[in-house]
Amino acid sequence: MRFHLIDRIDEFEPGKHLRGRKLVSGSEEFWDDVPGGPAMPAPLVLEALCQAGTWLIMLSTDRRKRAALLQVGNVRFSGDVRPGDVLVLDGVVESMSDEMAVLSGSATVDGTPVMQATDIMCALIDADDLEDPEDSERMLRVLTRS
Amino acid sequence: MIHATVPSTTTTGQLISLDRILVVEPGRRAEAVCNVPGTLAIFDSHFPRFPVLPGVIILGSLAKLAALLLHESTQQEWRLAEAQSVRFRRFVQPGDVMELLVELTEHDVGQAVCKASASVDGKRVTTIGRLLLVNDLAGAT
Repeated sequence: MRFHLIDRIDEFEPGKHLRGRKLVSGSEEFWDDVPGGPAMPAPLVLEALCQAGTWLIMLSTDRRKRAALLQVGNVRFSGDVRPGDVLVLDGVVESMSDEMAVLSGSATVDGTPVMQATDIMCALIDADDLEDPEDSERMLRVLTRS
Repeated sequence: MIHATVPSTTTTGQLISLDRILVVEPGRRAEAVCNVPGTLAIFDSHFPRFPVLPGVIILGSLAKLAALLLHESTQQEWRLAEAQSVRFRRFVQPGDVMELLVELTEHDVGQAVCKASASVDGKRVTTIGRLLLVNDLAGAT
């Protein structure tokens, strides 16, 4: 699968918070078979929030840094995410230095929380070690429709 | 050693295959091996200049092994509800062989708690202090 689990950035404030969306579709390939039908695997719901977090770090560091996951203090999954759902991702920076950031956040569907995570600790690493900056910039334009 | 026989209705996702189930001691522990080949499509995007297995995929593989362990003694389906103290200590890269260990610490009818770790070449790459799984029949989420 293409590991890109956020489709839009709807609003953000550098160093503070970001709200984004991931569209969930039956045309994706990752389903769990649970009561009530296929559901998005819980770890991918967490990843969608982490990717919202990494874009927030990019937008907060003038594109220089990305977040690499070091620790998740707590994550709780409280509802199923189904084909056709729109996952709304809210990421919040709890603290941030040049080298580390601590984030928290939630994912909701139609206003109902499906996941909450706290104490997500990330190392901030040079973004161009991971991906061509031009590709990141192109992706950011798609995410923000700018 | 037996080849992986994942329940057909596995409830923790097929994000990466448990390639070999080495040990299943019902009610106690399970061990498995995941090969991490360079052919995984995920490495095209994560990341183009530095291929590394996403931490959440490791979390998913450990939750899947925990669900398999619980299925063995209950014949029921279990799924991940909560994780605490998840630490990603080293990168897992193409060519690594991941050894997974899950140990059951608490278990009742509706929920179960495990601790879990993944290692490569004897070094722990991921540790999870508390993995809570719930039984679908209990209706708990």
